[in-house]
Amino acid sequence: MSENGKTKTIKVDYLARVEGEGAMYLKIHDGKLEDVHLKIFEPPRFFEGLLRGRKFTEAPDITARICGICPVAYQMSAVHAMENAFGVTVDGPLRELRRFLYCGEWISSHTLHIYMLHAPDFMGYESAVHMAKDYPEEVERGLQLKKAGGEIMSFIGGREIHPVNVRVGGFYKVPSKQEMKEFRPKIEKARDHALETVKWASKLNFPDFEQDYTFVSLHHPDEYPMSNGRIVSNKGLDITAKEYDNHFEEIHVERSNALHCVMKENSQSYHVGPLARYALNFDQLPASVQNVAKEVGLGKVERNPFRSILVRSIEVLYACEEALRIIDNYQEPDVPFIEMEPKAATGYAATEAPRGFLYHRYEVDEKGDIVDADIIPPTSQNQKMIEDDLWKFVPQYLDQSDEKLQWHAEQAIRNYDPCISCATHFLKLDIKRS
Amino acid sequence: MRAKTLIIGIGNRFRGDDALGCILADRLQTLSSSSVEVITHSGEPASLIDLWQEKACVILVDAVSSRAKAGTIHHIDLQAQGLPDDFRSYSTHAFGIAEAVELARVLYKLPPKTIFYGVEGKSFGANEELSPEMTAALEDVTIRIKQEIKEAANA
Repeated sequence: MSENGKTKTIKVDYLARVEGEGAMYLKIHDGKLEDVHLKIFEPPRFFEGLLRGRKFTEAPDITARICGICPVAYQMSAVHAMENAFGVTVDGPLRELRRFLYCGEWISSHTLHIYMLHAPDFMGYESAVHMAKDYPEEVERGLQLKKAGGEIMSFIGGREIHPVNVRVGGFYKVPSKQEMKEFRPKIEKARDHALETVKWASKLNFPDFEQDYTFVSLHHPDEYPMSNGRIVSNKGLDITAKEYDNHFEEIHVERSNALHCVMKENSQSYHVGPLARYALNFDQLPASVQNVAKEVGLGKVERNPFRSILVRSIEVLYACEEALRIIDNYQEPDVPFIEMEPKAATGYAATEAPRGFLYHRYEVDEKGDIVDADIIPPTSQNQKMIEDDLWKFVPQYLDQSDEKLQWHAEQAIRNYDPCISCATHFLKLDIKRS
Repeated sequence: MRAKTLIIGIGNRFRGDDALGCILADRLQTLSSSSVEVITHSGEPASLIDLWQEKACVILVDAVSSRAKAGTIHHIDLQAQGLPDDFRSYSTHAFGIAEAVELARVLYKLPPKTIFYGVEGKSFGANEELSPEMTAALEDVTIRIKQEIKEAANA
């Protein structure tokens, strides 16, 4: 923090309770906010380069390494893109199992953010550890719920972090009907915890801050979106993943390793994640979940980003309900995966990571070797949106102490559960020779 | 019967010296028995807390980066003290081992004996081998943990 004349600069070099490492910079001059930016300084990710020359079958295992919090999202986008390239559709029980696995990740990742990272902001604590001293039952509930999500990932994915059972075409091994049935009680208990979480989150105090966001998410007519659907917005967008590059672009920001995504039509930011999914897919939620949402005061669209913690809790409840539905309807597939022959092609896919949709594009040659890869994570897509929120949210607190101002700004950033580790995948080469 | 002693090697096999915990766990697998369990783990805190429930003795082994000399072995009795702040910065995630330990302490879930061995790493680059300093420290830590296991068995 520094003061020079009437100019005040607030620099937060390490953003706490954000996945990965980031920094925030606010410049205030004559009582007005003059500059805002997030700075990313974790070493860039080289995964797109790493993928080139590798077999198409390796993509799910390699991309799972990009993030320890949402590896399933990377795996799902990778397998769907490869299957898109080869013209293969994975349906029936294998599709259901993928959805089941994704439920595990949503439960685990969302719960981590709700209880351990975001709730302390609303409860006035420095961290979840401090909060746990006064609210041990709540934190314990968060741990139990997160554990249930992790158990789904271990059960279907082989292990919780970086699952190893996912392959292009399906899985290496699938559970029996009996094994699925025996797993059910764990999810029943998780559903109870999820319902309590929704009620608890609804009682938090939320700042009054609504924005006219351009929400973008997948949309599927028959289900709340995870791995399938078209990319839509509340402002008229309706495209396939293949058309993504025609409508969105990444801009390299000099001060940051990350890329900022904007819509090509107006160079404006857009909002991905739970608020967007919820706003664009409320009608696809089961009636039981819709009713809970209504009971806790949520409308069909929620435009206050601070209430994303509540929408996240609704999605956790949905993921538990969906996991139970999948268990009850499960029929063991005849084969654990569909074989496919590679051919020279380009495949596209977008799936819904907990933080928002995750786009993958792969070009493969006739032997199935990856020629080119493009991975656009949700945090890249939300970064400019976060800065835009800060521009609008921070000014009302400029008369407060720097400590309080920083608190409010960090809370606003955490609304997006930014996973900055995933977002920094841009390599800028600067070679000097002497 | 659940083993009463749990050795947890934490790290990433593909990130140079960060692989220490995993390699050490591989080495100690031969000591696995009905009373001793040896596992590798990514460091994800919620599952860590769950793993060490009902254990009499838990030994965590991880590479750290606290600006000490490469290969330095830090031995910390976590019942007596928390992990130093310097050990937190190497984590790529906001909620890591230090938070898991403190959360477990607050929730009365920290095992009666919880020991952390942190070995100062030198390089954490992708696909790198263990540095010579880390390789040397690995021998020392292995001997010390074997001794810890013996002591736990006699406790």
